[in-house]
Amino acid sequence: MTLLPLLFAIYAGEDDRSLAVRLKRREPAVMGELYDRYGKLAFSLIYRIVRDIGVAEDLVQETFLRVWNRAQGFDAERGALGPWLLAVARNRAIDYVRSSSGKMSRGAMELEAAEHPAVFVNFEAEVLSQDSARRVRGALGRLNENQRHVIELAYFEGLSQSEMAERMGQPLGTVKTWVRSALKNLRDDLGEKAITA
Amino acid sequence: MSCDELRDQYELYALGVLDAAERAELDQHLHREGDPCIERVQHARQLVSGLALIAPESRPPARLRSRVVGLVSEPKHSWFGVPAWIAVAALAIVAAWLLNTRRIQERTLADARQELSRKNVELAQLNEAFALMNDPAAKQVVFGEAAPKPRGRVFVNPKQGVLLLASNLTPAPAGKIYEMWIIPKGGSPAPAGLFQSQSDGTAMYLRKGAVDVASTGAIAVTLEPETGSQAPTTTPLIVAAL
Repeated sequence: MTLLPLLFAIYAGEDDRSLAVRLKRREPAVMGELYDRYGKLAFSLIYRIVRDIGVAEDLVQETFLRVWNRAQGFDAERGALGPWLLAVARNRAIDYVRSSSGKMSRGAMELEAAEHPAVFVNFEAEVLSQDSARRVRGALGRLNENQRHVIELAYFEGLSQSEMAERMGQPLGTVKTWVRSALKNLRDDLGEKAITA
Repeated sequence: MSCDELRDQYELYALGVLDAAERAELDQHLHREGDPCIERVQHARQLVSGLALIAPESRPPARLRSRVVGLVSEPKHSWFGVPAWIAVAALAIVAAWLLNTRRIQERTLADARQELSRKNVELAQLNEAFALMNDPAAKQVVFGEAAPKPRGRVFVNPKQGVLLLASNLTPAPAGKIYEMWIIPKGGSPAPAGLFQSQSDGTAMYLRKGAVDVASTGAIAVTLEPETGSQAPTTTPLIVAAL
């Protein structure tokens, strides 16, 4: 599958800074443009996590509404709109899965910290670029099966290392080794240039 | 802990998957002005943001855009000029009717979503299976040709995994399940996942992940307790020698 159409949608339109300014001005028309830019990516991410189209639709709505309602705290000059919106999307989806599977949801303060608009500042402009996508997918493909599995469990399911150990039926120490080596490989492979492309 | 000792935790922090105690430790650093952890966590956030791009592309339903845009649209019709009680009464009647209709629709919709979800999973599995089979690197082995049952094919793809297509495989009885094994040449069988066959005796099972075809001697299937086993406990029903 290719992400090219998504990335084209992201880079063919108005820039993020301008969208963010209009979002903070609460111009209703900006919602459609924001959706055209990030809706498919947010839906793809949420659907990968919840695996249910109806639920994914609801959570995409919730994501965009949350971004709309919290845009005042976003720094339009230095902020990274896409990464923030996708962090909100991921958190909504993981929280839904954890709640519906009877696991304890993350606390409100933890969620607040993880997706507060103020933390998504000073990102490189090309963090979601086509080149970054290629590099990230390439780096992930170079991990071994266990390393890739723990990264996916952490990113798509929000599992802590203890929860991964329980899920995989492996000792915690082993899982921590896989996580540590996976992150080191990603860091080495991508490094700071990974995301600056 | 020092910043260097926290090095392995930055991305986990950005992913929001640190245990509470570990998170609290790092939080202390992030509240100190000029602490090196602040910039490193920022880099980690960028790296984690990029992981969103590994989600397979899914096409949202066309109606979703309208739903999102509708969240903040200005109302198109005005109630000005209509006496308040008429508006309230009309709304109450409409609300009661909508509530009843919605209950019926929700039940139907829930069933349809469940079915759709199942179909989507099946479709995704079929796509993966076709990709594995069509890859020139995949090795194909036929099994069970001489025996009345079960029979089928095994495809071993060095990058994508092992795909088993079987027929005449009676559904495992209650409390039991089929387990696939990857048997290295001269080595012990390694568990490769659990699966069940359909009521018509067919089964498709994909064990994802890289496989060293050169060092693999055979793929086998045994009947095991429903929680699976670490080593085969019954005689294999399927053996596909590579």
